[in-house]
Amino acid sequence: MTLWAVPLTPWLLALLLYGAGRRLGPLALGLSAGGALLLTLVVTGLSLNTGVAASYRWSESLTLGLERSMAGDIFAWLVPLVALPVVLYATVHVSQAPCRLVTLLLAFVGAMQLLVLASDLLTLLVAWELVGACSWGLILHRWQEEGIPSQAMQALLVIRLGDLGLYIAAAALFAGTGGFGYAALGGLSGGLLHVAVAGIVLAAAAKSAQLPFSAWLFAAMAGPVPASALLHSATMAAAGTFLLARLAPQLEQAAWFSPLVIFLGLATALAGGLVSSCQGHTKRLLAASTSAQYGLMWVAVGAGFPGVALLHAVTHACLKAGLFLVAGLAERRVDSYRLADMRLGRQLPGVAGASLVLCLALAGVAPLGAAWSKEQIASAAVDISPWLALFVAIAGGLSALYATRFQRLAFGRSPRRLVSGRPPAWGERISLAGLALATLMLSLLWWRPFSESIAADLGVVLPREHAWLMVVSLALVALGIGMGLWLTRGSPREAEPAWQPVLADWFGLPTLHRGVGLGVMRFARALARFDDRVFDLPLTRLAQGVSAGASGLARGDDALLAAPINQLAKGIHATARGLAHGDDQVVDSGLMIAARCAQWLADVNTRRGEWLTDGLPSALAQGVEAGGRWARATQSGQTHHYYTAMAAGLGTFFLLLLIGASM
Amino acid sequence: MLTVALFAPLLGALPLALNSRWSAAQARWIAVVASGASLLALALAWLTFDPAGPLFQHIDEVEWVPSLGMAYRVGVDGIALAVATMSAVLFVAAVVYPFDTGGDARQYYAWLLFLHGVSLGVFLALDLLMFYVCFDLTLVGMYFLIGRWGHGDPQLAAFKFFLYTFAGSLALLLGIIGLYLALETPTFDMRAIIEQQPLAGRGTYASLVFLAMMVGLAVKTPLVPVHTWLPQAHVDAPGPASAILAGVLLKMGTYGMIRLPLAMLGETFSRFALPVAVLALVAILYGALVALGQTNLKRRIAYTSINHMGYTVLGIAVAASLIGGHDEARRLALTGATVEMVAHGLITGSLFLISGSLWQRTGDYAMARYGGLARRAPQLTALTVLAAFASLGMPGLAGFVAEFQVFTGTFAVYPWLAVLGVLGIVITAALFLDLLWRLFFGRLPEHLAHFPDLNRIEIGVLGVLALGVVAIGVAPHFLLEVVEASASLLSGGR
Repeated sequence: MTLWAVPLTPWLLALLLYGAGRRLGPLALGLSAGGALLLTLVVTGLSLNTGVAASYRWSESLTLGLERSMAGDIFAWLVPLVALPVVLYATVHVSQAPCRLVTLLLAFVGAMQLLVLASDLLTLLVAWELVGACSWGLILHRWQEEGIPSQAMQALLVIRLGDLGLYIAAAALFAGTGGFGYAALGGLSGGLLHVAVAGIVLAAAAKSAQLPFSAWLFAAMAGPVPASALLHSATMAAAGTFLLARLAPQLEQAAWFSPLVIFLGLATALAGGLVSSCQGHTKRLLAASTSAQYGLMWVAVGAGFPGVALLHAVTHACLKAGLFLVAGLAERRVDSYRLADMRLGRQLPGVAGASLVLCLALAGVAPLGAAWSKEQIASAAVDISPWLALFVAIAGGLSALYATRFQRLAFGRSPRRLVSGRPPAWGERISLAGLALATLMLSLLWWRPFSESIAADLGVVLPREHAWLMVVSLALVALGIGMGLWLTRGSPREAEPAWQPVLADWFGLPTLHRGVGLGVMRFARALARFDDRVFDLPLTRLAQGVSAGASGLARGDDALLAAPINQLAKGIHATARGLAHGDDQVVDSGLMIAARCAQWLADVNTRRGEWLTDGLPSALAQGVEAGGRWARATQSGQTHHYYTAMAAGLGTFFLLLLIGASM
Repeated sequence: MLTVALFAPLLGALPLALNSRWSAAQARWIAVVASGASLLALALAWLTFDPAGPLFQHIDEVEWVPSLGMAYRVGVDGIALAVATMSAVLFVAAVVYPFDTGGDARQYYAWLLFLHGVSLGVFLALDLLMFYVCFDLTLVGMYFLIGRWGHGDPQLAAFKFFLYTFAGSLALLLGIIGLYLALETPTFDMRAIIEQQPLAGRGTYASLVFLAMMVGLAVKTPLVPVHTWLPQAHVDAPGPASAILAGVLLKMGTYGMIRLPLAMLGETFSRFALPVAVLALVAILYGALVALGQTNLKRRIAYTSINHMGYTVLGIAVAASLIGGHDEARRLALTGATVEMVAHGLITGSLFLISGSLWQRTGDYAMARYGGLARRAPQLTALTVLAAFASLGMPGLAGFVAEFQVFTGTFAVYPWLAVLGVLGIVITAALFLDLLWRLFFGRLPEHLAHFPDLNRIEIGVLGVLALGVVAIGVAPHFLLEVVEASASLLSGGR
């Protein structure tokens, strides 16, 4: 089976589900969505086993390609596996248009599968932008509410700004090698190499919400819980880290790549830890923690252990998806994401238990899988510098701090008794339990033979372990937990220090983003006015002027040019009339006289010469007429009349001869 | 075949103009048949086009004034074929799309068919004179469509449009005459002129001819700063005419750049390639920013046209820069520019048809007066979201295939222009997301409580256009194959 089946299967199933799903009840929708993801898993397994590479030709220069790789294999399995519980949860948890949500989640899975299997920058760019578009649709899920469309827009714009990096990287690669394949990256050198690597790092930083792009994750929190769960665990935010891990060997050709990635990652890990520790909004706390955790993975990539980063991505995906589901269930109970409103330990004991497992993993407490992968990152950092390792351990301590804070504030025991809200449904329980169980099972990674065999199977290089680092790291985790407990003692404080909201809001980074956005908008408005006034107005005036000029000319034409002509015409007319008058007076009178003479003559003629001029012809005419009448009367068609006439005629003839002879 | 495509609509227009007995429905059917026949002929021409064959194919030629080299000559290369077919699709869409003709259905369809015929004449002509005549006649058709069936202040808009673009045409005419006079044997046969390259190495004279042509074509495209006839003409034009104006008429500017300066004055163009590319970059960024600053729906879409045509001109300028060693990149840029023409025609055509539908329902283009339509009109929302995402260059849709090639090709030749130009797609994303937000999301204002969704014909037309956009976005091979063959002949080192 071709590798194309891996992304195409969820897309086709998404289409089918959207066509049929609107009529399905929640149970049927959940079953069919779950079935769709299971089918995706089966197809993924079959395709990965049979296909190594696939390609699709667009034109002579453009070809889309897929290819298996270590990182790709890990993610191709991880994405549908994490999506399965999330989608099941979504069908039960979301009441408004669940079908649309599930469809988008499936499409999202497909886009991510395309992204992780891509073998060239063109295919990657296609998938990269599609993932962004899907996340826009997901964030926009409750589009009727004020503020949500703008949040969705903000998130997509920040991501797209990062996408530009990939456009430029792809163009640089093409300019240097005439192709887009990942393998060709190795053949780049000089300025083009730097441009390409910088572009890829930019795109990855925006997607993985590293500094200075971290704030879009807060905007993305406007989306429904399942969308956040998938966005933060195995897709979207994971894509940036995936890309760095996938291309690390080629990217390391640029000497500055590793230091930059370590710096960005560490800065985000520490800053994100602080932000998360101050946040009072469950989803935002988790969002900041996502940035911080991906920051740790970046450190691993920078240190030269991309495989370790991928393993941490796997452990993190399970626990973070689970924690978002927890946040959604807590919100259902109190109708708020504010940690200060919660302490739901008594109301939701099952959820609290699952959450405890996930939080311990996030905190990096020893027997859990995420703790193991975090220790691996710290060990990897030692190779660069022990100080770096120490900072990684401190970031780990911060994780412990905010994880403790989350657990204690959300599920601590409180004397309050809530009656509102509904208990978690079966679908939600199963999904959460599945993710918690997966997190627990990942504890096996601490068992050395198991982790070594996994690493060998995948081809992941593990760093050497350092006993001192382990001790320091665990001590910092303990310290973090202790501080977390200390901070959350007693009831939540009403008055928080002034710096806390600023810190909790990424040091004002979202405000900065909004400021840039507003600035651009203001500039655009000014430019639009400029366009109207400077470019367009003269033209409109010209057109109006020409138009007015034309009608003015028409008027002027009337007044100046036409008037004399009119006058002339009138004059001619008048002259003509005058002439006609004169004509009447002078010429005509003569004519009149002549006419009168003629009339008189005629009268005379009539009176005197009537018998001559009129009488004779009319008598003649009467005679002819009478003769005619007679002649017609004779033509009666009857033979005896003709004979009579002939006899009369002959008689007359002889009579005339007789008179003539006698004269 | 091309002659059929060219004359079917003109022959359809004739009885419509003369016979006054037909009802609106009959007139529309006649128009649909005439337009459809033309499209069918072009589709046939596409199927029988051989990408490996000579540059111009399907040639029809009838001598007219041999001593002056005038003739009726039609023929296509891959670029002309792609643009002409897209135009025919758009004309059929504009004819079929429901529009309130205000009782003058017969005349409306007659003018549309006339415009259809002469527009194809521009793209199919292989004769310079015929090209110019058709180029000018399109102004007449569009003038009447805007002036008679427009809204707002249509007389002024139509007048301004006509005046401005006609002034541009005159510049083009000067250029054409200049080119003609430089020929050894006088001919208007484009193939002969392309063969001769009459102005190669003729310094100032060649530059003047080139500049006259470019000014004329830049007005039509339009490039900043000669673009301001466009928004006003769009705002006051009826929806289908707007779709034609953006989808077909603007392409004559960029198509002309490929057919005349690039093909006939290659050496001269290469000297001016960088300034033209810089102008295109200005159009990209300026068009996008000014579009973002608009509050009127149609003005916003109109300004995105300036942005998108900027990509096309950038691609053409890159193809014209005869900088050695980048043959493949220049071919990519020219292919991208052509695909951008096709993609922009389909995408912006749909966007203007959609805004026409909005106008027919509400009589309003102010985006502030809309909101929350996604609930009342899910079909309209879905089709607009698709068109908007295509326009902002989302992969899987046509715009991406075009813009990616233009950027990639440009980067190899002018890296800085590409890096700056790519910023345009972020601004375009912002302005389309903002547009979608203001029209479809958020709260539904009360006066839109009974807003009707698209009817079947509208869905059908927009659906077909959307299908084309998706097809080019997902499987562009059928288009790229045809275009690339001609692009490599035109841009490959001469």
